[in-house]
Amino acid sequence: MGWFSSSSSSSKKEDELAGAPTRQDRQKCWEARDAYFACLDGIGVIKAGEEEGKCSAARKAYEGNCAKSWIDYFNQRRVIAEAQKERLGQATIQTQQQASKR
Amino acid sequence: MFSLSWRTQRSFFPVSKRLHYLSCRPSTTGPLKSFSRLQSPLPAPQKRCYSQFAERNKVGVFTPKSAALFVITGIGLLYYFRYEKARMLEEREKERQTRSFGRPNIGGPFTLTAANGSPFTHENLLGKWSLVYFGFTNCPDICPAELDKVTTVMDKIVQTHGQIFLPIFISVDPARDTPAKMKKYLEEFHPSYIGLVGSYDETKAVCKQYRVYFSTPPNADPNDDYLVDHSIFVYLMDPDGKFVNAFGQNVGVDEMTEKISAAIEEWKVEKGKTT
Repeated sequence: MGWFSSSSSSSKKEDELAGAPTRQDRQKCWEARDAYFACLDGIGVIKAGEEEGKCSAARKAYEGNCAKSWIDYFNQRRVIAEAQKERLGQATIQTQQQASKR
Repeated sequence: MFSLSWRTQRSFFPVSKRLHYLSCRPSTTGPLKSFSRLQSPLPAPQKRCYSQFAERNKVGVFTPKSAALFVITGIGLLYYFRYEKARMLEEREKERQTRSFGRPNIGGPFTLTAANGSPFTHENLLGKWSLVYFGFTNCPDICPAELDKVTTVMDKIVQTHGQIFLPIFISVDPARDTPAKMKKYLEEFHPSYIGLVGSYDETKAVCKQYRVYFSTPPNADPNDDYLVDHSIFVYLMDPDGKFVNAFGQNVGVDEMTEKISAAIEEWKVEKGKTT
């Protein structure tokens, strides 16, 4: 995947010419991300990297199809989203408890 | 009208109270008396009450007075209401005027570079409804989603209003985004998209005009793999280049379509165009 690779200076030049990620590039990355996150969900891991090599195939595809900056962003957002879900769940339970007390 | 009847009753209260004191039926207040007479013949006790000379005299004194009071109060209230209504209309008119004059000061002069390398300024926005969005081509998911949303909205409105739009995408990543890169990127969203780039200072200036925050540092390395944190509003500007509305990420296609259509209709009415 040339557009995000930062391994060699020649590919960087190509990046300039090739331009920004295409719709197809994005789609591939999102799909790889979703597959990897689904794997993490399956083993109950929220923070990427804590799966101890269990989702290695999915992780490889994810890293192969997404730029590093995107991977960092998606991983961070997953943690934030989980925390929000938890908080939201707690809030719902609290309101339900209050409602049943009345 | 509530206050009218309430005030009338209140102004008559002492009268009925006094009548009560004179051992007449308390219901024999001026207007009510004639009303009850219309409904049913007067009962015997009431007649007796009238036959007492002094009392009848007193009642007779009250009636024109209270009637006059009633009429005066009525006229007074009528004028008061008319005055209030006129005042309210005037206020509403003022509010309407300040709304069109006092809109948020978003947008303004800028100079950037379009895809073919030619300069593009705020004057190029005139004559069309522009939808201005800020982002960068290496944006992971929000920018593409927002650009797709704008495309859907435009396609919907174009069906009724024709080719009235000028969709603009301004890069907040001056270090990496080039006119050619922007052009290629935007072709996937809508053929009419215009991608604009500028130097760091030009980008900063246009972002200031549109109250947009962006996180690219001035000395960003074009070869680095980084993301740009930025405000994600779509700005609707009218054909005069004036700000109309801003749409956040939470505004869906339907709501955005509705609001833009309404703005177009309102603008047509203001400009006196019927089509």
